[in-house]
Amino acid sequence: MAQQIEVDLAVIGAGPAGLYATYYAGFRGMSVAVVDSLPEPGGQIAALYPEKDIFDIAGLPAVKGQQLVDALLTQAATAKPTFLLGESAVDLTTGEDHVLVGTDVGSQVRAKAVLLTAGIGTFTPRELPVGTEYLGRGLRYFVPRLEELAGQDVVVVGGGDSAVDWALALEPYAASITLVHRRPQFRAHEHSVAQLERSSVRIRTPYEVSAVTGDPTLTSVTISEVRGEGREELPAQAVVAALGFIADLSAMERWGLQMRRRYIEVDRSMQTNLPRVFAAGDITDYEGKVRLISVGFGEAASAVNNLAPLVNPALGTVPGHSSDSV
Amino acid sequence: MAYVVTDECVDVQDRSCVEECPVDCIYEGDRMMYVNPDECVDCGRCEPVCPVTSIYHIEDLPTAKAHFGPINAEFFVEIGNPGGARKIGRVGRDHPAVTESAT
Repeated sequence: MAQQIEVDLAVIGAGPAGLYATYYAGFRGMSVAVVDSLPEPGGQIAALYPEKDIFDIAGLPAVKGQQLVDALLTQAATAKPTFLLGESAVDLTTGEDHVLVGTDVGSQVRAKAVLLTAGIGTFTPRELPVGTEYLGRGLRYFVPRLEELAGQDVVVVGGGDSAVDWALALEPYAASITLVHRRPQFRAHEHSVAQLERSSVRIRTPYEVSAVTGDPTLTSVTISEVRGEGREELPAQAVVAALGFIADLSAMERWGLQMRRRYIEVDRSMQTNLPRVFAAGDITDYEGKVRLISVGFGEAASAVNNLAPLVNPALGTVPGHSSDSV
Repeated sequence: MAYVVTDECVDVQDRSCVEECPVDCIYEGDRMMYVNPDECVDCGRCEPVCPVTSIYHIEDLPTAKAHFGPINAEFFVEIGNPGGARKIGRVGRDHPAVTESAT
């Protein structure tokens, strides 16, 4: 839903650097909006490795990806941020005393400064190799509400956690579920795969979707055996393609930022070449850059403190100690 | 710095790595896959999914496979950095060292 928001700081990217920056901006007394293309916050951690242990966060000897995201969200909540999730920042224009950020659903954020914590780019679902023209007419990449597929014959495509999890979650709703994966092994959690084997989900491996038909909406899906002769036509009203994500930088490349390969060049105050636009985390580049979450946290704090005087001239760059602010 | 595809991939091309790569930087030659070293973000997701253990970080390449560092890089001399393998599809030819290697 399109929103019009006016804040001190717009953070683009709700990964670890963006969430920590959100907390920090709140600590410095700023109002914050956070934009992210994915429906859930957490960036690469949540999308790529929520179950992995992370060992190099200062003060946390070991923490699961999702636990870290949850803790960062709790910390960021103290800033009372406005989240614009599932919205991609597509436009950015700088003005005399503000920056305007526009999203793909038409939201507009007017901010006194922008912090780009966009990691490796905008995550977009990896497309199904055939039948992309059925998007919105039976093909989908997300299932935000399971009951939307009630009573339907559903084909889920993919071999990772989201494919297996969606197949299992849809079991009580759908008329039938077929899970198609192009390799014999699933990459999902062992526990979920065991559950899958006990479920009523039909498993077709190694198969891939070779054709999608129906007019105007999807009615059938043809699957073909990978390196084999097997072929099946399945009646289906819904295809859920859970093939992971691809990170795309094309929006940012249009904004006039000074970039080096996939990265944005910043100076020592984390400012980009554009006025009032700063960057932090994996997306930044400078001599000696190391891409780690811990470095991203440091850059986020550095960026927020350095942009503070632009947001409010009464604010200095030096933050004082958080322990004094009880 | 980047990951590198090596000789075990030749004539296998399972493409599990392609499904994992979040920046779509693994390109399909005629006989093997190649990682674009300028587009790779070092996330490491391709390495464990390779069914024939053909992918290494360039700093961990065994000596016997060291020449695959330049082989991956040189594959992109003509192609450049298209910003995603799916944009150009199957390239259909290989680095000369791979074209000439035994099957």
